[in-house]
Amino acid sequence: MTHFRPIWMIALNFVREQRWPILVLQLSVLGLAGLGLLTDSRQDREDILLLFKQLGAYGVLFSVFFGGSALYNERRSRRILAVLGKAVTRRDYLSGLLLGVMLAAGLFCFVLGFTGTWVLGGIGFSVSYIWSLMVCVLAACLLASSVALFYSTHLNPWLSALFTGLTLGVPGAIAFQFGGWSGYILPVYSLMRVFIKASFEGPPATALSYVVVAVAEAVGLWLAASWVFGKIDVAVAVD
Amino acid sequence: MPAVLEFQDIIKDYRGLFRRRTVRALDHFTLQVEEGEIFGFLGPNGAGKTTAIHLAMGFVRPSRGKGKMLGQRFGKASARRKVGFLAENVALYHRPAETLVRFYGALNGLSGETLTRRTREALDTVGLLHESNRNVAKFSRGMLQRIGLAQAIVHDPDLLILDEPTSALDPLARYAVREMLLDLRSRGKTIFLSSHLLSEVELICDRIAVLNRGRLVRTGRPSELLESSEEVEVTARGIPVASFPSAEAEADNRIRFLIKAAEQRYTIERVWSMGGEIVSVSPRKRSLEDLFLELTGGRSQDPAKMRDIPSLDVPPDTPKIVKES
Repeated sequence: MTHFRPIWMIALNFVREQRWPILVLQLSVLGLAGLGLLTDSRQDREDILLLFKQLGAYGVLFSVFFGGSALYNERRSRRILAVLGKAVTRRDYLSGLLLGVMLAAGLFCFVLGFTGTWVLGGIGFSVSYIWSLMVCVLAACLLASSVALFYSTHLNPWLSALFTGLTLGVPGAIAFQFGGWSGYILPVYSLMRVFIKASFEGPPATALSYVVVAVAEAVGLWLAASWVFGKIDVAVAVD
Repeated sequence: MPAVLEFQDIIKDYRGLFRRRTVRALDHFTLQVEEGEIFGFLGPNGAGKTTAIHLAMGFVRPSRGKGKMLGQRFGKASARRKVGFLAENVALYHRPAETLVRFYGALNGLSGETLTRRTREALDTVGLLHESNRNVAKFSRGMLQRIGLAQAIVHDPDLLILDEPTSALDPLARYAVREMLLDLRSRGKTIFLSSHLLSEVELICDRIAVLNRGRLVRTGRPSELLESSEEVEVTARGIPVASFPSAEAEADNRIRFLIKAAEQRYTIERVWSMGGEIVSVSPRKRSLEDLFLELTGGRSQDPAKMRDIPSLDVPPDTPKIVKES
């Protein structure tokens, strides 16, 4: 437990440092709630579902942004030195950042799921389905941010975002083309496909296997990122 | 005395993109810092001081060679638990001073009542207890440096590594920090201090090392290093002041002048031959600034160009005095 404490503190510190983008993200979800109040939700239910899906996709994009820039910002500001000057290993430090990104993503998914339950649940969408979709979005956020964090150990945020896009996009294109097992290679596309394809009419799709694979691959990426981060000079800014 | 910090033949190269350009920051750097001493680490900008400190803290890795801190290889988190570190141009999170120091203390394993007590003690030590609720974003540079010191000492470390800890402080705060460092030494702590403030280093350091262009050019006790082996101060009586070009008249019919050590014997004989009397001959005590300038190329070490001491016309057959060290 004492070993976990620095990780938890770094994660909370990350959330505190990123409080404004996180707040903006939550406010965008409140827009969905506003729609539920202001529009005839039964008549415009497809539009509301579309907005719900859009917001979920934004969550994944924000996770890439958070994962790709967290380390860079800390190194550029040199704040990383005071933290790594303490009894904190580089792996713990990366774990803290990743946990921080997941706390932000988790909060977003919770607020989106809660708002979705209120707005979509009221117009006939299965509440349990909404929460299973939120698990898909959260798993996609975890995997996407792990890829971004991996690249951010040695690239600046722009290149990190570019390579994250390529790393997640290429398997997505393969999965789109060939389907089957190829959907399990970095399955952000597969997870988001389940989310995007959700409808009032169709039967709830199951994505548990994708979630399990995404978590396992995120752990692998976290280990790889820790290994790379353990080898580099952190006092030198990546530019 | 056991070494608490040890650099062993370290080379550190910084490589540019695609390894096209390499800058050697440290070149076969070897140094030992012993337990319980205040060690001054000097060198001009770009000499490699911060690189050496970052190596010890594990922020960068050596290209060759190795080192130990508190008996463990560089970069071990368990060793850093007993180390307090203050970076040059300290960068900290923007939050109230007490919360910030608590954060860093907790990262080093403190908790509960101990964390609260140590946080307040650290803030008190650096004179910021009355500002504990103020956000550090509103602090002046000097206050930031003091809060940086507080986070470095909050966990009562055995070894303090300080990179320019007093560069932004006013004389009063600098004095307080100096006293704090002396107090820590009296409690058996070791302090590795990188500083440009030579007078301060001269005042408190037990040993100093001078680094230039990545190479260690001198190590030793200030008293040993500041004693010049090349210049001698002679005080004589009973001869005219014009007898020696650099002589200055003093009270009691005395004159005082500097000569090169190699001319010592010739000078003494000359004073005697003029009917004078030697009052004293002593090695010239340099200031740390003189030494620093000599070692780092700010002032030439070539005896022929040495300061403005005019050379005496020493006959070629005059035996030279070799000073035993």
